[in-house]
Amino acid sequence: MGEENKENAENATEEEPPSNTYVIRPNFLNKFRPVIVKEAIHHILVENLQGKAYDGEEATEWTKQISDAIKTKLKDNGYDRYKFIVQVVIGEQRGEGVKMGCRCFWDSDTDNYAQDIFMNDSLFCVAAAFGVFYY
Amino acid sequence: MDDFQSGEETAFVVDEVSNIIKESIEGAIGGNAYQHNKVNQWTSNVVEQCLNQLTKLGKPFKYIVTCVIMQKNGAGLHTASSCFWDNTTDGSCTVRWENKTMYCIVSVFGLAI
Repeated sequence: MGEENKENAENATEEEPPSNTYVIRPNFLNKFRPVIVKEAIHHILVENLQGKAYDGEEATEWTKQISDAIKTKLKDNGYDRYKFIVQVVIGEQRGEGVKMGCRCFWDSDTDNYAQDIFMNDSLFCVAAAFGVFYY
Repeated sequence: MDDFQSGEETAFVVDEVSNIIKESIEGAIGGNAYQHNKVNQWTSNVVEQCLNQLTKLGKPFKYIVTCVIMQKNGAGLHTASSCFWDNTTDGSCTVRWENKTMYCIVSVFGLAI
């Protein structure tokens, strides 16, 4: 018993004693930054939709594929302690009016979103990605 | 014995949220016909009313509300969402609403703090 205590005391002098640290804010490197995410989204949209024409049956599948691809990409980017929500909308271009809007109730210091649009003659696609920090 | 932090008081209840969304849409758009210059206002009103009601629930959530309004002219619209979160606490609810001239799709995502 006595020996053990001695050993602990020795270790403590060699290393810094561990202090309690809590992550309540992401550091800059691991922060969700819209500019970078927007670029990633753009690449995925172009990759998936370039040269494609609207098809009512396939578009459902495309929305799923694209939202999954963006989510996977975000997970790979190594944002620590973030939850992600990706929403993808594909519509047929027939000259109709469309308006998409969003509003969020969150911590604007840590949470953010990015979005990008892809358009060609027969379809349009809007992808929005939200990153929400959990403490 | 009560469980710690469980039950309806702190959970994302889809039915409750779904009702809030429907009421917000009815309140903001109601029986109006599609008007290009009003759409901005409508989308803002819908998401704002939704968020207002959601915060009044007083639950420990962050919320994301999105709204799409599309004029009806026979064109198709598809939407999908993909989430990376805690399935046990977080939730989502999507409502599709339409009248003679437009579609309105509202999604609410609730993320537990």
